[in-house]
Amino acid sequence: MLGSVAVPVAGTGEPGATAQLLPATGGAPGGGWRSHLGSLAFLAPAAIWLVLVTVYPLVATVRNSLFDSTGTSYIGLHNYQEIFSTASILVTFRNNVIWFVVFPFLVTFLGLVFAVLTERIRWSTAFKTIIFMPIIFSATASGLVWRTIFDLDPHIGLVNATTQTVANWINPPGFYPVNTAAGQTVAGLAGTGLRPGPNGSLESSSTVAPGSTAQLGLVGISLPALTLVGAHPAGTPSPAPGAVTGLAWRDFSPTHPTARGQVFPDEDGIPGLHMTLVRSDGSSAATTTTGADGLFRFDGVSGGNYRVQVDANNFKSGFTGVFFLGTQSITPTSGLDQTAQAILSVPLVDIAMIIAYLWIWAGFAMVVIAAGLAALNREVLEAAKIDGASEWQTLRRVTVPMLAPVLVVVAVTMLINVLKLFDIIINMAPGSSQGDANTLALAMYNYGFTGSPPATGLASAIAVILFILVVPAMLFNIRRIRG
Amino acid sequence: MARVILDGMTKRYPGGGALAVDHMDLDIADGEFVCLVGPSGCGKTTALRMIAGLEDITSGEVRIGDRVVNDLPPRDRDIAMVFQSYALYPHMTVFDNMAFGLQLRKTPKDEIDRAVREAARILDLERFLDRKPGALSGGQRQRVALGRAIVREPSAFLMDEPLSNLDAKLRVATRAEIARLHQRLEATMIYVTHDQVEAMTMGDRIAVINEGVLQQAGTPKEMYSTPSNRFVAGFIGSPSMNFVDLKTDGETKDATLIAGSTEVRLDDKQAAMLQGHGGRTVILGFRPEHLSVGKPEGPGLTMTALIDVIEFLGNDELIHGVSDDRDVVAIVTSLNGLKVGDQVALSAPPTALYFFDPDTNLAITPG
Amino acid sequence: MSTASAVATPAASKQRTLRFPQWIRRGRPVLNIVLAVIAIFWLVPTIGLVIISLRPESLFGQSGWWTALTAPAQLTISNYQALFGQGFAAGGLLDSLVTSALITIPTTILVTVLASLSAYSLVFGRWRGRTVVLLLIVGLLVVPIQVALIPVSQLYKAFGSVTGFNPFGTIPGVIIFHVAFGLPFGIFLMRNFYMGIPKDLLEAGRIDGAGEWKLFRRVVLPLGLPAAASLAIFQFIWVWNDLLVALVFLASNPHQTLTLFLYGQTRFFASNYWIISTGAMISVLPPLIVFLSFQRYFVRGVLAGAVK
Repeated sequence: MLGSVAVPVAGTGEPGATAQLLPATGGAPGGGWRSHLGSLAFLAPAAIWLVLVTVYPLVATVRNSLFDSTGTSYIGLHNYQEIFSTASILVTFRNNVIWFVVFPFLVTFLGLVFAVLTERIRWSTAFKTIIFMPIIFSATASGLVWRTIFDLDPHIGLVNATTQTVANWINPPGFYPVNTAAGQTVAGLAGTGLRPGPNGSLESSSTVAPGSTAQLGLVGISLPALTLVGAHPAGTPSPAPGAVTGLAWRDFSPTHPTARGQVFPDEDGIPGLHMTLVRSDGSSAATTTTGADGLFRFDGVSGGNYRVQVDANNFKSGFTGVFFLGTQSITPTSGLDQTAQAILSVPLVDIAMIIAYLWIWAGFAMVVIAAGLAALNREVLEAAKIDGASEWQTLRRVTVPMLAPVLVVVAVTMLINVLKLFDIIINMAPGSSQGDANTLALAMYNYGFTGSPPATGLASAIAVILFILVVPAMLFNIRRIRG
Repeated sequence: MARVILDGMTKRYPGGGALAVDHMDLDIADGEFVCLVGPSGCGKTTALRMIAGLEDITSGEVRIGDRVVNDLPPRDRDIAMVFQSYALYPHMTVFDNMAFGLQLRKTPKDEIDRAVREAARILDLERFLDRKPGALSGGQRQRVALGRAIVREPSAFLMDEPLSNLDAKLRVATRAEIARLHQRLEATMIYVTHDQVEAMTMGDRIAVINEGVLQQAGTPKEMYSTPSNRFVAGFIGSPSMNFVDLKTDGETKDATLIAGSTEVRLDDKQAAMLQGHGGRTVILGFRPEHLSVGKPEGPGLTMTALIDVIEFLGNDELIHGVSDDRDVVAIVTSLNGLKVGDQVALSAPPTALYFFDPDTNLAITPG
Repeated sequence: MSTASAVATPAASKQRTLRFPQWIRRGRPVLNIVLAVIAIFWLVPTIGLVIISLRPESLFGQSGWWTALTAPAQLTISNYQALFGQGFAAGGLLDSLVTSALITIPTTILVTVLASLSAYSLVFGRWRGRTVVLLLIVGLLVVPIQVALIPVSQLYKAFGSVTGFNPFGTIPGVIIFHVAFGLPFGIFLMRNFYMGIPKDLLEAGRIDGAGEWKLFRRVVLPLGLPAAASLAIFQFIWVWNDLLVALVFLASNPHQTLTLFLYGQTRFFASNYWIISTGAMISVLPPLIVFLSFQRYFVRGVLAGAVK
């Protein structure tokens, strides 16, 4: 169970390890030279395998990187020059740097927080299992799941659905939103007796006085929208003294598709329209809302001429979502040249993928750090309590410094992991964003295997760069083993 | 400095059946050095941790000074603790280890510096202030742990087997050092150990605990000379007290009790004391060091034993004998010339005899 | 002086503040709620995947999967029926499941056996240069597989022109590659475990006349079984979840691994999401079962492999 994991033994043999590694001289009784050979033979299959499929290719890749894509003509460092002068490859460096700077730190931090907090609850094993589980899913499956979570369409993407709900709650849309993105305009809704008014509203094209009625026909109002708000067939307005009355209706009859201005029985009133009675100087005299049959009535109106205004907020469109998997940069880069943009912008899709990757790896960080935590001397933490440290002070000044070696191991592991980032990008970033989300590992694959003919030289050069970047981690590991 | 009072202090672990600490009552005077001693798992460390605030108190009260501290976190209890593993902060220098508690209390820098240097001087650690614990020997680490407690000038020092990780020689030296420290600081100290010798030599008072229950508390001398029950009698003293079951003869009121080769002639006081137990079995206890070779006249214990093993201690020798299928241990002068396989007569004076009730295990005392 | 019974003074009792029962104070309600929210957040993607795979294709894009939480009637197993209904046709889901297994199981066995043998040689062998070889293997731990993709495919082709069997595009080709990149970690993990086996045990065996093979089979291998289990499980999940190696070495093969199968559907993401979600569900089941059955071993492997 996750709750009861022993201390990691990796990396450090016991103190006697070095002594045991020294070659022994002379054979033991019953062994002799044959046992030397025997145990050496145990290593042989793995050794041959490793030499052929990892060591030799490493050398061959260095060679390939100095040749063109046919692998026959030597072109020196030309492939490397191309890497550092191609904007679309520089983007991969930028992305690797973003991941490098942000991800190991965040995932280690999250792992530490989880490991520390989970010690203080009774259901820590369940919690750890839940957080840890994504690590056993393939990055392919995880990437595809997160791709839907961040989908632009609020009917698919949970994040945009949530954002939309919150945004519309704070700033509600009108009943009859006008989709400007699809080329609709408010003015286009003016049918009978209406003309475009100030600030995106509509107003009656003629003036009305108390005791008279206004017939306002709107076109382009969708039937589903009307059904949703519970529209009734259009009513007939009756004049009333001291009041302006009228009707707002959907001026489109399926039975008389070309007739305008006339109210047919199969035409609905438009309910819920916010209306203002406006004086000639533009000030508001009264407000009202249309009923289910589209009838409205402004009461207590003194004499004079007015216009009926259909307020702009009736047509306000709602929040339509953020394209989290898009290439929009969260850093301001407009006005820069293409190369500078490639290097300095941070596309949204990177952020979305980092979140998904945190979901995958936080459990790993947590489990490793929790094992380190379990191995700490409890009495030292108690000593801090008695010395007067609060939980926070104990964490910051005692626990974390004592855990430092484990935190470094987690961060280094994640650095290497992020360097080889491939599956999550290719699966989670949609085709339109993949160029901006590209990483070295993905670029290596694309150049090496998808082109026709594949740019093996360039791909090899990228692989060599990848290798050079892991060398510090390699030395870190070797140093850890040698102690 | 403060008085520490345990009033019915009880600990029950969730799920655990028996009480880890069972209604413990103990009044520790200001400046007193009290040793909590008992076999491992007896609840002594739990009791100490409850005083420190590292374990919740199920019921009862702990008072330090004039405050009930049950609900106070450790840092508000004004206590310092020395742990079995020393529990030094591995990433801090010796200086910072000692200064940490004061830094957390926002003590002015120069005052911290003064307090740490003073403690380092007392403990002979001045040369090591800049080192980290990893570069120190066990004895030095132990002194740092003490220093960390001293600089805080707490109301009470709590120590949890602080010497158990030291080798035998260093343990004796540090024992004396802690005793000196106690005299110098005149501080209240509560010291947990499983080693009754340590407890006897260091404590003003000893509290013997078994299975969560405080058996007896008193000065070392009281614990040795008037144990209140069979457990304390057997626990205090090394080697342990010998015990023999004896049947009293209720009918004749004879002042002699006999069990095999063991014979006890009671003096008048003892005879009166055992009156109420006439006809029943009592447990006789006598310490190895009170036995001598020979068969004197007058009241007291006499017995014969077949010598099984002799351990030579120098001036004395430790005799393991068998008497009527019972093991008997005696410390006698090595001038006796005894050999393994000898039958030997052993005796003890009436003042060296203890009697216990086999049902309650309590000591049978006059009156 | 015997046990002192202290008398509670009124002053002391008054200092007692209002006190909640211990189970509430220890229960930390705020922390529990915060962690519960985090746990739910962590479960959301998985729950979403499960639900999407159980919703009819036509509902994708019409309403969010979360609506199924209040209207569970929309759930159906038709997606599974449709995918299983295709049977074992090449490139289908079931065929991919088999292909993944055909790659993963031999790789796991090979890595575990070869790594155990090598670790034995490195720890208990008595030849010179073991330290150097160990450090080389540790160095190989972090080498990115990208450096080997092109040369190994060239090697495969060269091998093919000599022998007539070109492993490129075949299951053996994928296995050979996976084994090579699984070995350094495997050897390292087994070596760390073997270091803990007392040398005396082998010396005793040698005095009894056991040869190296016998010592390995009868002494070291049984003792190292927990580590071998960790390695095998770790390796199984690692290879099962691989995409890149399959993408390179199996692209030309009509039989695909599950990851390849899923990746292939992304070209028509929206219209194929019912296949993606259902396929993803099926692809995570084997690792999930292995993980839940051998959690302890897997976690041990992860801890030991905190360098890969």
